[in-house]
Amino acid sequence: MKINANNHFSIKRLLIAFTTMAALSSCTKDQLRPQLADGSSIVVTDLPGDTGRTVATGFRTFYFSLTTNAKVDSTQKQTADWDICFAREYNSYLGVNSGTDNASYGIGGPGHGAMVQVNQAYDQVTTAPSDDVFKNNGVSSAGWDPGNGTGWYFYDLNTHIAVPIKNRTFVIRTATGKYAKLELVSMYKGAPAVVTNLYWPAPYFTFRYYVQQDGTRNLATKN
Amino acid sequence: MLRLYFMLLFTSLVFNATADNFYSVKGQIYSDQGEPLTGVTILIKENLRGAQTDSLGRFVIDKLKPGDYTLIVSAIGYNQQFLVVTIAYSSVSHLVIHLKANVKGLNEVNILGRQENHDNLIDLTRTPMPSTVITRKQIEMMGSRRLDEVLKEQTGLAVVNDIGAGPRAVGLQLQGFDSGYTMIMIDGQPMTGRNSGNFDLSRISVANIERIEIIKGASSCLFGSEALAGVVNIVTRQNISQSQGLANIRYGSFNTLDATLEGETPFAKGKGSGYLSGNYYRTDGFNSNPYLSEGKTAPPYNSYTIQGRARYTLSNINALNLTGRFAVRNSDNQISYNTTPTKDVLGETDLNGAAILNSNFSSGLRLKTQYYLTRYSTDQNINSLSGQVLIPENNFVQYLHRVEVQAAQTYWGGMAFTAGLGGQLETMNNNLYNGSQSQSTVFIYAQGDCTLSDKLNLTGGLRGERQNRYGSSLTPSFGIKYQPVQALMLKAAIATGFKTPDFRQLYLNFTNLAGGGYTVLGTDIFTSELKKLQDAGQIASVFANASKVSTLQPERSVSYSGGFTWVITPSLKADVNAFYNDVRNFINTDQVASKTIGAQVFSYFNIAKAYLTGADIGLSWNPAAGWNISAGYQLLYAKDRSVIDSIKNGTGLYAKVYDAKTGKIRRSKVSDYFGLDNRCRHMANIKITYANDPSGITAMFRVNYRDKYGFQESNIPNNFLDPYDVYVSPFFLLNASVQKTLMNKHFSVQLAADNIMNYRDQLMPAQSGRTIMLGLNYRFFKNK
Repeated sequence: MKINANNHFSIKRLLIAFTTMAALSSCTKDQLRPQLADGSSIVVTDLPGDTGRTVATGFRTFYFSLTTNAKVDSTQKQTADWDICFAREYNSYLGVNSGTDNASYGIGGPGHGAMVQVNQAYDQVTTAPSDDVFKNNGVSSAGWDPGNGTGWYFYDLNTHIAVPIKNRTFVIRTATGKYAKLELVSMYKGAPAVVTNLYWPAPYFTFRYYVQQDGTRNLATKN
Repeated sequence: MLRLYFMLLFTSLVFNATADNFYSVKGQIYSDQGEPLTGVTILIKENLRGAQTDSLGRFVIDKLKPGDYTLIVSAIGYNQQFLVVTIAYSSVSHLVIHLKANVKGLNEVNILGRQENHDNLIDLTRTPMPSTVITRKQIEMMGSRRLDEVLKEQTGLAVVNDIGAGPRAVGLQLQGFDSGYTMIMIDGQPMTGRNSGNFDLSRISVANIERIEIIKGASSCLFGSEALAGVVNIVTRQNISQSQGLANIRYGSFNTLDATLEGETPFAKGKGSGYLSGNYYRTDGFNSNPYLSEGKTAPPYNSYTIQGRARYTLSNINALNLTGRFAVRNSDNQISYNTTPTKDVLGETDLNGAAILNSNFSSGLRLKTQYYLTRYSTDQNINSLSGQVLIPENNFVQYLHRVEVQAAQTYWGGMAFTAGLGGQLETMNNNLYNGSQSQSTVFIYAQGDCTLSDKLNLTGGLRGERQNRYGSSLTPSFGIKYQPVQALMLKAAIATGFKTPDFRQLYLNFTNLAGGGYTVLGTDIFTSELKKLQDAGQIASVFANASKVSTLQPERSVSYSGGFTWVITPSLKADVNAFYNDVRNFINTDQVASKTIGAQVFSYFNIAKAYLTGADIGLSWNPAAGWNISAGYQLLYAKDRSVIDSIKNGTGLYAKVYDAKTGKIRRSKVSDYFGLDNRCRHMANIKITYANDPSGITAMFRVNYRDKYGFQESNIPNNFLDPYDVYVSPFFLLNASVQKTLMNKHFSVQLAADNIMNYRDQLMPAQSGRTIMLGLNYRFFKNK
């Protein structure tokens, strides 16, 4: 085949195409994380659980106050100073401070806590449900969802990474009887949008919550 | 009619009858130094019939009528010779031809033409399924250092991380099949050493490779279990015609150093020959994860490889070949996410050795008797530096012994016949497998390649294999090539594949204490280990499918392939091939129990029926002298039929999809199913090469494109990839290299850049950023 002007032209056109492609290939792909701060909620990032442990050694439960936004020492288990706790494997099971629920870590204490799972996006949960709902549909703890629809994360079958489930918001009655809503975002350090290593450090909890201080059931947070 | 012809042909082969009025030309071809030359082509100008020399330089062309014939004798690296032979009512034998070395050809160690392979009498380019050959010259031009770098740029091949099997699990995907389904071979014998099925090809240096042969499609009919998706065969240096050596050093980004020293020489007046090659490689690795404060996602490592071959001609008939390869790799990756660091340490050794007796009888029968041994050992541990925990260990030693006899006979009437039989013993001692385990297999196979006319060629093969545990299996294959006109070749093939459950699927007893606490149990130890967990009070509930665990069957596939090669103009060629792989008894893990702690217990099942179908297109165009532009494209649909059924029937979690557009959960549709994860629908590549002989400059520019592929589930668990799950974004990678030879081709300088635009993605942990390497190469050879 003889070379002619046309061929040169097509080579030139190819080069232009490649330059365009080069421009497209230069960016680095970033995984976008959702915006958690909404002006009224408190965002907790990387709250360490009982790190450096494995399933074999077990994880020590830790306690957290939604009022002070801080961990509460486990010696205060029988007080109303804490509202939520993180228990069991990877501290991934969220519980509340109830003095009457046998499954609660606050059993026997003064806590008035209760919890309901609402299958709605965090910002769409604007009202805490009635006491009847807390009584009849309440859950003692929420962690791995084994497929029955209760829990805040699942394990991907191929990557074995815990993935938070969309639209799982937990409406909580605090130890002192105030209403709050809470969303768990991640149990992995840095709360990455996608966890890309089976041994990514865990548990480090990232979550957000809003406590209605006036004692009403109004949980609207959107500005 | 065709059948009758075939039968007649076969009969004539069996009785090896020769007609009385025909004569033959026999001879032997040597180099000017007196060494026999293998793979030399002898073509008769008058009737275009031909032959190739065997390992002792012998050839025979039979069924010739009396007359004058011009023999054209050619071989790469040697000057072409013309020779007139007169056949006057008697055969010509003892024709001795000496070929003069062509200096230009010598300094390229590469062999483009087909050469006899001492280690494998099966010609991989003549199997029914489509095959590709990557030559040493191409590898050198690419400037690649490790095998994964070369293969991931080939159409239809991808190197992917297996996140669920740990940070070091990387494997080759071929036509959408996971790494575990592609057999990796060295000189026709299987290599072992996989991490959950993943064969990490970065442990293999390409410095000592002569060429790489790839078969896409089921190849169990020749290679047995594991070759279900296809085969990658690494061919080491085979034919040594003169003393030469090479020293190569490359250094560049991430402190990557690649140093090679090799030498080869004939000895004992050409009766013997040998080569020895050593390679050292190191790299600091690369991190693509912005959350890491320390450590790499493509781990740092260093590796030594020693490889060699000795060949000695024992007699007119027999030649002995000894080959060996020994490689060590050590890697130490200290990782921190602004936390207490962990240390991920890997040490592995890899040994391959073979003793081969090649017998070439004057009847044309070639025989290969071989003992092959491979040993692979690995120790992988992840330690928390706080000293508290030892995260998982993966330590094992794997041996494979194989004895094989191969025979090949080529009849100039147009039929090549290869057959073999053998047996192998494989043992595995793994800390996760409750001690040492073994498997043994005996096998017999045959392949025929028959040219019925100028236009029609048939290939057929059959393998019978008996495994100590899974019993017998038969895997046939059949291919047809039809060339209606010179420029067009139509091809179709059908082949079968199978894969017996591996050690892991039978014996694994693994609890991932650091990764969620789930447990995976092999089917053989399932009942006893589950009972242990139950007795320890760890099991909350056992699912109904637990009772089906003991019945694991080999996986089976049927590959269909059809396409054409069309030489559109002398400078433009197109290859189009459609493929369909139907896989049954696909082994997958499924949950069989849940623990009181909420974690799952998995075991293995033949649950899935998958299909992997698509097409690939290759184009090659020489727009001007010295220029070549080639392009490749693969379309792929890889789906699990059981997922499709579950979506249709609305079974369990499969019934629902979280639709990110509406923010609501809705009933799933079959069209929501993207396919198996890690597979991309479209992948493409373009290579532009330029070679200017007088100036000694060669240059190459490559673009590789991969479409998006599924990474993992998101939003809600529904056990399949829907459009709203996590995908790795589509990307382009740009690579280039330029090389100049100097000093009468003794010396060359190369600059190679991979991933020029520095594309990085956290979801592709093994993909390095921009890598620029400067290479210096010196070849030692005698100037003429």
